[in-house]
Amino acid sequence: MNKFPSRHRARSMRHPGRFNPVRIQSESDLEGRHFRLLLTPGQSLRDAIVEPLRAVGVTSASTTILGGFFSQLSYCVAPPDPSGQAVIAYSAPIDAGPTCMIFGNATLGLSSEGDPLVHCHAAIRTSGGEYRGGHILPDRSIIGPTPIPVLVTAFEGFSLRQSFDPETNIPLLQPFREDARNESHA
Amino acid sequence: MNLMPDQPGSVVEKGRMGRVAYARIAPNEDLVRGIEKLCLAEGFENAFVRGALGSLVDACVLANDGTEIHVSGPAVEIVSLAGEVRSKDGSVEASLSGVVADPSGIIHGGPFVSGGNPICMTFEVTLEEWLPEA
Repeated sequence: MNKFPSRHRARSMRHPGRFNPVRIQSESDLEGRHFRLLLTPGQSLRDAIVEPLRAVGVTSASTTILGGFFSQLSYCVAPPDPSGQAVIAYSAPIDAGPTCMIFGNATLGLSSEGDPLVHCHAAIRTSGGEYRGGHILPDRSIIGPTPIPVLVTAFEGFSLRQSFDPETNIPLLQPFREDARNESHA
Repeated sequence: MNLMPDQPGSVVEKGRMGRVAYARIAPNEDLVRGIEKLCLAEGFENAFVRGALGSLVDACVLANDGTEIHVSGPAVEIVSLAGEVRSKDGSVEASLSGVVADPSGIIHGGPFVSGGNPICMTFEVTLEEWLPEA
């Protein structure tokens, strides 16, 4: 029957909420604004991204962390949610100790409460020499003694905001046109 | 996959970055085809991935011998992604390579197989349009 027994079939998971017929929520702008950011030693990953970018007027951006050392780093993995409220839930924080971040991506946006939010995934080498990856906890991860370079692609015509997603039953970063954001603040 | 340049002497392509797009792609959409559809939605003919993170139900990447490596989730986190989208003969094709972390945090990687990488919770991607010089 199955000519390709080794081929795993892609699974479609059932989520708790109502299916959203819009599968790709996208916004675009005429061009991205680019910055080279150096993450400041001793600061948390969150502060090292948020504060300098806020100073140049950037609150929504996609960033590439070009790798470097953290004096302390914590991350989570994403196993199935035992409560069934969502398909997966983040694990308890895992302390990787002094860590080399091999490569990372971080998205800067606004939380549901309007505060800066950093969502970061990265590949790391832990203090024990293990190669791991996952969802980095930006408040619990501290930049090591050498500044870490970051390429920032900032957005102007739209912003990224955390908004509750009924289908997955969790808050997620989503793009919104600027005028929509202003209306919600009015 | 054809890894050779289209024509002799065509290994360097001059161009510049154009528009920028950010998308959130929803659960059960395929990673590779989702990025291709994003380019169709935004009208990008050619693009580079500028940043991406999210999760997959399971991951499927190409092994060195051409077989497929299956990484079981959920969720398999995308921790690194590089790639491009090219248009040719009326279709768009995304070529994506990256590193993923399985539910215990162990990392795996390679070129993502189209159709084999369903998104688990969300996938965030930033593309920059690439405008080759005519």
